[in-house]
Amino acid sequence: MHKLIPTLIMLNVFIFFLCLSLGSSSIGFYDVIDILNGVADDNTKAIILDYRMPRIITSMLVGSALATAGCAMQALFRNPLADPYVLGISSGASVGAAIVILIGIATTLNILFAAFISSLLTAFVVYKLGETKVGLPIYTLLLAGVAMASFLSGVTSLLVYLAGKDMHQVIFWIMGGFWTANWLKAEFIIIPIVASIIYVLINAWNLNAILMGEEHALSVGINVESFKKKIIGSASLLTSSAVAVSGIIGFVGIIIPHAMRLIVGENHRTLIPTTILFGAAFMPLVDLIARTATDGEIPVGIITALLGAPFFIYLLKRAKV
Amino acid sequence: MILEVKNVKVKLGSSEILKDITFKVDKYEMVALLGPNGSGKSTILKTIFGVLRPINGVVYLDGENIEEFNFKEIARKIGYLPQENPETNLKVVDIVLLGRTPHISEFKSPSKGDLKIALNALKSVGLEGFEDRKFSELSGGEKQKVMIARIFAQQSEILLLDEPTAHLDISSQIEVMELVNKKVKSGVAAIIAIHDINLATSFCNRILMVKDGKIIRVGKPEEVINPSTIKEVFNTNVDVKKFGNRIYVVPKAKGVKRNNKNKKIHVICGGGSGVELIYKLNEMGYYVSAGVLNVLDSDWHAIMEVDGEVVDEAPFSPISQRSFQENVEVIEKSDLVILANLSVGVGNVLNLKAALRAAENGKLLVVDKTPFATRNFAGDETENLYRAILAKARVFKDETQVLRVVDEVLLER
Repeated sequence: MHKLIPTLIMLNVFIFFLCLSLGSSSIGFYDVIDILNGVADDNTKAIILDYRMPRIITSMLVGSALATAGCAMQALFRNPLADPYVLGISSGASVGAAIVILIGIATTLNILFAAFISSLLTAFVVYKLGETKVGLPIYTLLLAGVAMASFLSGVTSLLVYLAGKDMHQVIFWIMGGFWTANWLKAEFIIIPIVASIIYVLINAWNLNAILMGEEHALSVGINVESFKKKIIGSASLLTSSAVAVSGIIGFVGIIIPHAMRLIVGENHRTLIPTTILFGAAFMPLVDLIARTATDGEIPVGIITALLGAPFFIYLLKRAKV
Repeated sequence: MILEVKNVKVKLGSSEILKDITFKVDKYEMVALLGPNGSGKSTILKTIFGVLRPINGVVYLDGENIEEFNFKEIARKIGYLPQENPETNLKVVDIVLLGRTPHISEFKSPSKGDLKIALNALKSVGLEGFEDRKFSELSGGEKQKVMIARIFAQQSEILLLDEPTAHLDISSQIEVMELVNKKVKSGVAAIIAIHDINLATSFCNRILMVKDGKIIRVGKPEEVINPSTIKEVFNTNVDVKKFGNRIYVVPKAKGVKRNNKNKKIHVICGGGSGVELIYKLNEMGYYVSAGVLNVLDSDWHAIMEVDGEVVDEAPFSPISQRSFQENVEVIEKSDLVILANLSVGVGNVLNLKAALRAAENGKLLVVDKTPFATRNFAGDETENLYRAILAKARVFKDETQVLRVVDEVLLER
């Protein structure tokens, strides 16, 4: 196990309590201690346990899901610019959410389901479009993803245009954030995300082989075609789950794996666990800024971009590539 | 482990890439697949590994159909090294460890034992201490040796190597072939698709020549490599030379313009004294003949190479009366005769007698480079004979001087 892993686990615990203790209300760290001691009042309990806690857990799950999916896609496509959205999943989710909003049945649960189903459906269609007689050439898949994403972006723009007074709702959803987080959402995504993360984690070794190229992976006995399907399946499930509860949060899927790659190297046996943990630590922290920096809420996707890009450039310079 | 490829036919799309391929490879064998680009060499390797399924025919591993195995089982038996090296920042040790993948159960990581095997493999290719280096920062030769270590770590009994020496400098090419050769001698079989015929003939025991998806020649290097098979397979003209028990292939000497085609020059030589004369005269456009020479003498090789007429005698045999007569006849027909700076023993004294005839006819030039006494092993009488020749011929200090006057002399006549 890499020496960074215990540090990252401790960082996660620290950030968890930090985020529980900070917020727009004056409830703080001592109130968290009170809850642990069972002496807190109902209002405090409600804010911490029913509002902050599910929000933190959701953001941790989403952060690790996007980071893991990004890392797996970069290995599979052998392309540093691949991210969780290469298969058009984000555009698919936007269309689903926009339709639900447009036809006026936009409950939290409906948007969640619509986004989840439409994004998974998009991934499946892209997969089918990319498939050829000789298997699943990775570049065909990439191009099918790009084509599908631009088509669905067009559809989303059309829907936004047609949405009229509901326009802001769609745009806000697309910008991404955790302000609607609750236990229901956290419970909805916890199983697909944890299961997919475990799958990627135990296949970390095979991802090393894939990184060498498909022929090399085959030559060490990996059934490449079937492995590709499974990795694409888990990455799609991770991304769809994340997008369904939090909208489209960019950059996390690229920046977290690359930051870890620069620190621990290419070996996926250490890269995957550190990426999962760093993703889980990074997302609630950014969300903390989103909900405390101003009186209102800043969409979290804006902050990931503003914060993530300079950090990434710092790492690049430090590594003297 | 015995590999048998039987009547294999492979189609890619609508075109038939392999047509009825059959061969067997046993352990301790290093087999080269030679053939032009697109002849099907890589396809043969991929079919053996089970990546491509034949539409007809079977690949057997120790009598079992390869299609019965999954990739993991095949990878335990066969180490396949694809043509292109990966581009990756993985550490060297992680790459070599990938060779252990077929031996570790799914969802598991390599053990300490696997690490030890990987480090040993790295050591065996001479890259001890490279384990923590980044693969992307190695030289081409080092990268290829890491990949060789990877298939060694796989501990399979059959190695399939797709152009393992491509893009490497000569020392790395030889190192790679030596590493594989050493492995083969420890009891594995290797099949190597390769473009370098000389590397193939130097290291492989058997050569399969492939053209248009068919094996058209099989055998030991010296049996199958000759100008006509190379012409047949690669459609190019080469000379095949022997060097000890090695053979090597070079581009055919450029065609000579026979602008002096009516003129014939005979060289009396032996023991290498005529090589320069034969080649240069040929380049100058003359028909060159030589004699009497022992077969396999280096002068004999030279005259064979320029396709000249030769009067020859069995290796190490003295010149017979019959060969002498034949030599004299050739001399009669020649426009000019050159006596090279040859050594004379009892076996070839008759060559000097022939030279005397030429001298008497007034068409002898002599290269008298080193004192005759130092190259005469046939007694005083021969010394006198040589002196008689010199008296009737034009004498030159070395080959260059003779060659300079040849044109002139022939014009005068």
